[in-house]
Amino acid sequence: MKLSTESSNKIKFALIVGTVFLTVLTIFSFFVGRYPLTLSGIISGDSRQWQVFVTLRASRGIVGCIGGFVLGVAGFVFQTVFRNPLASPDIIGVSSGASAGAAFGILFLSGSMAVTASAFAGALGSVVLALMLASLTAGQDGRGIVLAGIAVHSLAQTALIFLKLLADPEKQLASIEYWIMGSLNGISLYSIKGNVILCILCVSALFLLYRQIMMLSLHDDEGRMLGVHTQHLRLLILLIATLATSGIISMTGLISFISLLAPHGARLIIKNNRLSTMFLSGIIGGCLLTLGDILARSVASTELPVSIFTSLVGAPFLIYLCVRRNRES
Amino acid sequence: MKQRFKKHVALILIGLMLLSLIGCSKPASTETTTTTETAVTEAPAASISDAATTADSTPADASEEGSDAQTVYPVTVTDQTGREVTIEKEPESIVSGYYISTSLLLALGLKDKVTGIEAKAGKRPIYKLAAPEFLELPNVGTAKEFDLETCASLSPELVILPMKLKDAAQSLSELDIPVLLVNPESEDQLEQMIELVSTATNTKENADALLSYIDEKKEMLEKDLSGVDAKSVYLAGNSSLLSTAGPAMYQSGLIELAGGKNAASEITDTYWAEISYEQLLAWDPSYIILASDAEYTPEDVLNDENLKECTAVKNGNVYAIPGDIEALDSPVPGGILASIWLAGILHPDQVSADMYTEEKAAFYETFYGIK
Repeated sequence: MKLSTESSNKIKFALIVGTVFLTVLTIFSFFVGRYPLTLSGIISGDSRQWQVFVTLRASRGIVGCIGGFVLGVAGFVFQTVFRNPLASPDIIGVSSGASAGAAFGILFLSGSMAVTASAFAGALGSVVLALMLASLTAGQDGRGIVLAGIAVHSLAQTALIFLKLLADPEKQLASIEYWIMGSLNGISLYSIKGNVILCILCVSALFLLYRQIMMLSLHDDEGRMLGVHTQHLRLLILLIATLATSGIISMTGLISFISLLAPHGARLIIKNNRLSTMFLSGIIGGCLLTLGDILARSVASTELPVSIFTSLVGAPFLIYLCVRRNRES
Repeated sequence: MKQRFKKHVALILIGLMLLSLIGCSKPASTETTTTTETAVTEAPAASISDAATTADSTPADASEEGSDAQTVYPVTVTDQTGREVTIEKEPESIVSGYYISTSLLLALGLKDKVTGIEAKAGKRPIYKLAAPEFLELPNVGTAKEFDLETCASLSPELVILPMKLKDAAQSLSELDIPVLLVNPESEDQLEQMIELVSTATNTKENADALLSYIDEKKEMLEKDLSGVDAKSVYLAGNSSLLSTAGPAMYQSGLIELAGGKNAASEITDTYWAEISYEQLLAWDPSYIILASDAEYTPEDVLNDENLKECTAVKNGNVYAIPGDIEALDSPVPGGILASIWLAGILHPDQVSADMYTEEKAAFYETFYGIK
């Protein structure tokens, strides 16, 4: 009994430290960037500084924080539902669908909003296709979904290659490549509202469905004994998690590693699979993306792809946690 | 039975010999590649002018000598990657895999000798205007997907390719097809390319006319714009408003020649670099100039909510570099016209806006026969 209070105190501590760290990091990110902003300038209402702060700097910081949180939570949901530590939204074709959608938008539509919409449609389209195929195969334990995901992933990749082939190498191909590399550059207040609201709604829904997610982590038979219609529930939860992921990556392009890494980090810290782990996954995801973006915008004289830094920061972090756990045990 | 066995052994032996042949030829080809690469590193800016100086000291090799001389074949030239290329006789059929060299071939009056050009020719208005027959020519692909077989099947006597296609050049050279690699990434390299191609194709007279036109206009701009305040100009690339050219790029020289100052002067990249809206607002350029082939328009930039505080947008100073004949922001022979156009916008008191229209008409009529 004493042990459990101790560990629950530890969990509380981890969550509080994590939340505070993410908040501080996000606020810090408000003060890193190319435009010379000063606190006094913003407060005194200098119209240009205020404009830059609100539409660009703060929006970007908030998308980094929320986006990372969403990717972390979605990763947790996927790993739990599939009972597979390597699962992430990518395995059912979200990222390749979004890439193909974005490439289509870059080639045939105009304006960044259209590209975002097209990427979103691509991501959602491939997920719906994968889930439909999966429901046809009626596979056990979600294996059908994985297979369907692989099929849809390859289809989307083929479409992407075809679109790249059509693209003009000097303009569109470069845009497609930049999009795939992923970056929070170009995010502004005018382009994010819909996506951010969608993400918040989806993540809230996932937290409300937390018990059901945990049930899916059991064997299907056990779930059924508890009176859960596992097949439908699994589809619904995956759909919500991918909706949230699509909402983020359709704005930013592909961001690697966070959905895979954040849940592992959370589990290594809390050593359990429950609500607090899900929340901590989000916090770690948020920290990774915010930190990655701070580096991406400040290291060089140009904007760099954020994925370089999420992996660069994330990989040593994960190794550190693994080593620490080994020593403890 | 015995005979059959012999037959099989013979077949296997033949197979083995063939294999060993392949084995032999492979290392040989890699060897050549390495030599080429060493040449590249040793002589990064190996130029015709270098070759010409050597030629001056050895008058026997008159082929590479100064401007008024005709090219005497066989001629050995050093291309822009430092490869030495020998051309046995005046090429009667030329393939160009790069729109910039194709445009140069037109300017040098070689359109009847061109037998193949790069893909997607239909979207370049200059071909429709100066040489509609080019649209019917076989295409040898793009820098992304070069079509080696089509190119070889045309049996060209000279092939001109961009530096990116080094590997294709290697393969063609192994088929005894002479290939010139060009790399016009600065004003100087553009002039080098003009000299190189004209020496190889015996069109030095035309090249001289072209080069002196360019020099004359350059001097004119320098004279007219001496002492003016350089205006800060942001050049937005083809792929997006937030991609731009640093000082290492050809396009930066274009701006300076027009009496402008590249807003992106702190960028060290040698290719189009990605920046952020914040960066653009921090530079706060007085003018935003869009690359010729950009798919977004000045109106899009003027209506961009994120830029409403930017000086260029506030004053409505957003323009697209003309591309009605060819993309003038790229290092084509007529690239100097872009500077004249930009000077007319940045410094209308010194260079009138009509000058661009007049010069453009005169230039394309003289060198391309476009009326």
